[in-house]
Amino acid sequence: MNRVLRRVLIGIPAGALAGTALAITLAHPLPILMTAAFVGAAYSASLNPTKGTYVDNLMAGGALGIPLWGLISVVAIPVLSGRQPEWDADQIRGQFSGLVGWVIYGAVLGLLTQALSDFSARVWGPETTPDRRGEREKTRVVILGGGFAGMHTAQCLEQELRTNPGVSLTLISETNALLFTPMLAEVAGSSLEPTHISTPLRSSLHRTEFIRGKVERIDLETRRISLARDVASGETFPQTEVPYDHLVFALGAVSNYLGMANLEKYSFNFKSLLDAIRIRNRVIEMFERSDRENDPAQRRALLTFVIAGGGFAGAELAGALNDYGYGILADYPRLRKEEFSVVLVHPRDRILPELSESLARYAQERMEARGVIFRLNTRLTDAGPGLVTLSDGEIRAQTLVWTAGTAPNPLVQSLPLEKDKRRALVVDRSLALPGKPGLWALGDCAAVVDAKTAKPCPPTAQFALREAQVLARNIRAQIEGRPLRQFHFDSLGALCVVGHQTACAELTIPFARSKSMRFSGLLAWLMWRGIYLSKLPGLERKIRVLTDWAVELFFPRDIVQTIELK
Amino acid sequence: MTEPHSSVIMALESNVGALSAHAKRVLLCLFIGALGGALQGIILTRSVAQSILYGVLFGTVFGLVFAKRATSPGAGLIWGLAFAVLLWIVFPAGILALLAVGSHSMLVDARERFPELVALLLCLGMPVGLALGSWGERHSTIPALKFNWRRAIIAGGFAGVLGGLIFGRWVSSGDYFPLLAGYGPFNTSRMNIILLHFGIALLIGVTFGLLFQRDVKGYGSCMGWGLGYTILWWFMGQLTFLPIAAHRQLDWSADQASAVFGSLVGHILYGLILGVAYATFDRVWLRLFIQSDPLNREVGGAGVNVLRSLSWGATAGLFGGIVASPVLLATHALPKIVGLDITLSGFRGLILHLLVSAAVGMTYGLLFRNEASNLGLGIAWGWVFGLIWWFVGPMTLLPLLLTGVCDWSTDAASALLPSLMGHLIYGAATAFAFLLLERRYTKWLLLDPRIAAREATKVRPVGTPAPALWLFALALGVLLPILLG
Repeated sequence: MNRVLRRVLIGIPAGALAGTALAITLAHPLPILMTAAFVGAAYSASLNPTKGTYVDNLMAGGALGIPLWGLISVVAIPVLSGRQPEWDADQIRGQFSGLVGWVIYGAVLGLLTQALSDFSARVWGPETTPDRRGEREKTRVVILGGGFAGMHTAQCLEQELRTNPGVSLTLISETNALLFTPMLAEVAGSSLEPTHISTPLRSSLHRTEFIRGKVERIDLETRRISLARDVASGETFPQTEVPYDHLVFALGAVSNYLGMANLEKYSFNFKSLLDAIRIRNRVIEMFERSDRENDPAQRRALLTFVIAGGGFAGAELAGALNDYGYGILADYPRLRKEEFSVVLVHPRDRILPELSESLARYAQERMEARGVIFRLNTRLTDAGPGLVTLSDGEIRAQTLVWTAGTAPNPLVQSLPLEKDKRRALVVDRSLALPGKPGLWALGDCAAVVDAKTAKPCPPTAQFALREAQVLARNIRAQIEGRPLRQFHFDSLGALCVVGHQTACAELTIPFARSKSMRFSGLLAWLMWRGIYLSKLPGLERKIRVLTDWAVELFFPRDIVQTIELK
Repeated sequence: MTEPHSSVIMALESNVGALSAHAKRVLLCLFIGALGGALQGIILTRSVAQSILYGVLFGTVFGLVFAKRATSPGAGLIWGLAFAVLLWIVFPAGILALLAVGSHSMLVDARERFPELVALLLCLGMPVGLALGSWGERHSTIPALKFNWRRAIIAGGFAGVLGGLIFGRWVSSGDYFPLLAGYGPFNTSRMNIILLHFGIALLIGVTFGLLFQRDVKGYGSCMGWGLGYTILWWFMGQLTFLPIAAHRQLDWSADQASAVFGSLVGHILYGLILGVAYATFDRVWLRLFIQSDPLNREVGGAGVNVLRSLSWGATAGLFGGIVASPVLLATHALPKIVGLDITLSGFRGLILHLLVSAAVGMTYGLLFRNEASNLGLGIAWGWVFGLIWWFVGPMTLLPLLLTGVCDWSTDAASALLPSLMGHLIYGAATAFAFLLLERRYTKWLLLDPRIAAREATKVRPVGTPAPALWLFALALGVLLPILLG
């Protein structure tokens, strides 16, 4: 029997029987008895029956009688009789006998409800809680990748499917935390502690099973994912295969070295938290070594940092390293300001192609004024130990950071699925892979096209987050047999920090999508900090980052090396 | 002897042991009940033999029925007090009055039988409850929650003194000390009065910590227990011990209780301050010395939980405000509800009322989260919440804001009785909406049995004295203004 119905059936006679106490003390016995039966049903339905809790119900019922007296005797009965509620002090005192009646009614109701509940448990057995989990085989949704796209898809699915116990969610990622990449340059520049911009996936996801591991192979026929051995130990875990019904590719992108092996060998990557930590430690290492170096040319090479790529990542990193390097010079009195330089190499005539030209020029001017050297219309052609070769010459530098190109994850490239010229997975406008039921893709590894404008969507976190919302809705819609939604999103704008309290911001005007507002300098910097702080997942992380920023106002940046570099 | 035989004998011995333990418990209650009955007979100048018989009956029934629930002195006390109140409502104020005089004069009869309420509480409910609870704590086979003496005394003592300090500064400007009102005029120096005030505050605080450490959970239950405990102190202090200390004749009549009614409101407010202060100290203690231990770490940060409670509380409070507004409008309480301007009425008044409702609802979210596991229990806490805000709002803050002084007279309480309905409805509706929001959030979390188990540990389990507290606090919180007004 339905448990609510069963409780109601217990509550009605209990309420009616208990109502005799009221019928004695109040006028209109029949309506009162009906009310008492109704209250009994509501009381019984609202409580989870626990065997033998007579005294608890006795007291709870008695307590319930007091507000019931107020609601029914003082307010409802006079109003239903066409009179004013009797809530003057004297009128209330006139209802005292009703108060006594209602308390006794409540106490008896509590006792009878418990007695009938225990009796029904003996006769019909305990209440059955429908175990919906066992009713059917679960639909398994597996998400590959723990970046913005993957984690947000999981969070949206948790929300979308919160009342559906027939779906299991699994997220597989090589790292156990979401890296907040907009603040990565600040880690490299020693403004922020590395872990403060990373949010643990396990803590953020409540219903999703998390597996830290690397995907080795995906069998699209049998719908199974094979996990690789543990990278560090080479150990194979018992769980090596994960089956799926829906598979979401959110694997992100990796650096693309354009086929130049030496670049891959001699440059630092700038994609992960470890990359940022390595770069920060590399800067400190170079300063320590140059402090002991007597050859001025070698010292200059040690203190020259070349950054390839003038997009957001390259420009922000150049600004951060420039500030950091000049800042820590105070701790190295033997080194001269002129020996330190950050060189930004970019193949076009202006940096930050994502921003309008005037803002890009502003950024370049501000960075130049702070000491960054620009090599525009210049390509990197090769790299070697202590040497960076450009299309128009060479730079003696011990440190090269590559931010110039990305390509979708190699796992995606290995799959027999349709890809675009960027080698990203082709998806339809609902973010499903065409002709491949149950396969979905979003973020940097997908070639997403806006359903309204038919333009390709940029591989940014802003778009990935919105794609995740649509994708989660669509998975739910497909499970429930409803039509899918098409993806459309107008960019809100872009922000870029270029140095100490200086940034550029270009924000789209709402309802006038083709127009934008431009901000620069301190205001843009405050906007950058405010907006990205609000986007940083987790209150705890926000507080930690705020603290770091506050500390930075009063104390110099740290020069403690945290990892050993070869 | 074969093994089955020995197990049968062991089982029999254990049953006999259990039976004898149960019998001892009942005998203890019977004995304390008899003593209390005798005392009651002497004080009320009734037949001592008859009173002893009543006491024996009370003790026997209480010992038989409440043995499993009275697991500590504090729990026993609350169950005992609630049982005493219920008995008084059912018999002296209910059935006996009905049989004797008819329903039209039940209130008058109940006022005449007010001394019996005091006697039931102080001579039977309190001592029998404490005795059974102390026995239960010593002999219980169920593993009890850990009790920390230092935490109870220090947190309770600090809370008591802090409550006394806030309360003393607030109300003593006119040389009126609610905790000492029952003594009458003092012939001693102001310093001695202040010392006595703080002495009583410290005593209440320390005993609060000692009695209720295991039962209180968060701010909400601390306030509820504070409310109930200080109502008891009003009966004990103002109506009993202070008159004895002042060498006056013991007078438990309704007239005498009416004369010190103002101090009842003072006691209730003191109880709420004590509850909040105790909960704060207790929370700080827990945070610093217990929860900070990695072995006791909980998933999820406190900050996120607080924000979530506030947002749910605001939404629930808004709902409660909407539900209660017809009653508050009809009783003309709405224009005064915010205590800002009595001319503020109509749409602006309604909007302001809803804003205040949302703000007050946030306090429900903060104070009462995790106190109830289902809608029924949640609504019960909602009634208590509404009652608390009636004492805090219209009885205290409103006159303070409008006139600068508190008016705790029986006339003021009578005038505000209509708005009590609105507050009770507001509390219940707020609790109802809050529980729905909380359930909506946890519904999918609970699909995972590990999370379900974790969440279950946060919620108040069945078997605590919470239902007894609801009855005691609600019954006396509503009854006393009606009886004594």
